[in-house]
Amino acid sequence: MDLSTQQFRAIVERHQARVFSIAFRILGEAGVAEEVAQDVFLELYRTLPRLESEEHAMAWLRRVACHRATDALRRRAARKDTAAEEYQDGMGLRTRVRDFVPLMNRVEQLLLTLPPAQRTVMLLRYQEDLEAEDIAIELKMPLATVRSHLQRAVQLLRAKAERTLKEFSRG
Amino acid sequence: MVEREGVEMDEFERELREQLQARSAPAGFVDGVMARVPERTRRGTWWSIGNVAPVWRWAVAALLVAGMVAGGVERDRQQRIAGERAREQVLLALQITGSTLRDVQQKISADGRRESGQRDAGRNTRDEAVR
Repeated sequence: MDLSTQQFRAIVERHQARVFSIAFRILGEAGVAEEVAQDVFLELYRTLPRLESEEHAMAWLRRVACHRATDALRRRAARKDTAAEEYQDGMGLRTRVRDFVPLMNRVEQLLLTLPPAQRTVMLLRYQEDLEAEDIAIELKMPLATVRSHLQRAVQLLRAKAERTLKEFSRG
Repeated sequence: MVEREGVEMDEFERELREQLQARSAPAGFVDGVMARVPERTRRGTWWSIGNVAPVWRWAVAALLVAGMVAGGVERDRQQRIAGERAREQVLLALQITGSTLRDVQQKISADGRRESGQRDAGRNTRDEAVR
C-alpha cells in the first residue's frame, strides 16, 4: 500500500478506537494503553508498503495491538509494582486494583481479572466480533485452545457477575 | 435446564458485546501519532522511493538496468579493440624479427661463400707454385 500522510491519518482516525480499546482492556491503564496504541500505528506506518489492502491492515492492527499490549503487561508484571493493592478473589485469580478501575465499566473490570490469554481471546470475540476460527488464525493458536479459553472465560465472568450482583443486592 | 442455561449464556454474551463496544481513544490521539511519524519519512527525501508511483519506480529501475547493460557492452567493445591492437603489434614485431633474421642469414651465407672462394683461390696458387 502506497499512502500519503493524509491517507495514513485517515486510517489512524478510522481504527484508533479499535486499537486503543484492545490495549486499554488488556492493560487496564489508559496512559500506557495510549502509548502502546500509538506505537502500534507507528509500526503500521513502517509496515504499510508490505500490506495489500485496508482489510489486511485492519487484521494486522488487531493482531499487533494484542501482542504489544500483552508484552507491556508482561513488562509491568516483571517490574512488580508494590504500590498496587492486590486482592485474591473467590475464583483464585489475583487482581490488581488501581486508580484506573473507576474509568472502566463493570464488564471491563471483570475482564481484567482473567488471565491475559483468555482476556485477549474474549476481546477478539466480543469487541471485534470474530469467530473462534478467525481468532485461532489471528493469534496463531490451536482452534481447540481458543474454544477452551472462550468457554472457560465466559463461565468465569458469569460466575463473577452473579456474585457481584448478589453482593450488590445484599447492600 | 440445558435450555435455560443456553438462554442465560446468550443474554450474558449479548451484554458482553454491548459492554465491550470499542471505546473512543483519548482526545488528540491522532495528532499524537502523526507527530511521531518521522519528519524525513513524512516529507519524503530525494533518495526515498516510498512516495514514488510504481510506474516511475519501474521506469527508473529499467533505465538503471539499461545503463548497466550499455556500460557492459561498451567495456567489452573497448577491451576487444585493445586486444586487436595488441595482436597487431605482436604480429608486426614478429614480422620485423623474421625479416631481420632473414637479412642476417643472407649476410652470413654471403660471407661464408666469399671466404670459401678465397680459400680455394689460395690453394690453387700454392699447388701451381709447388709444381
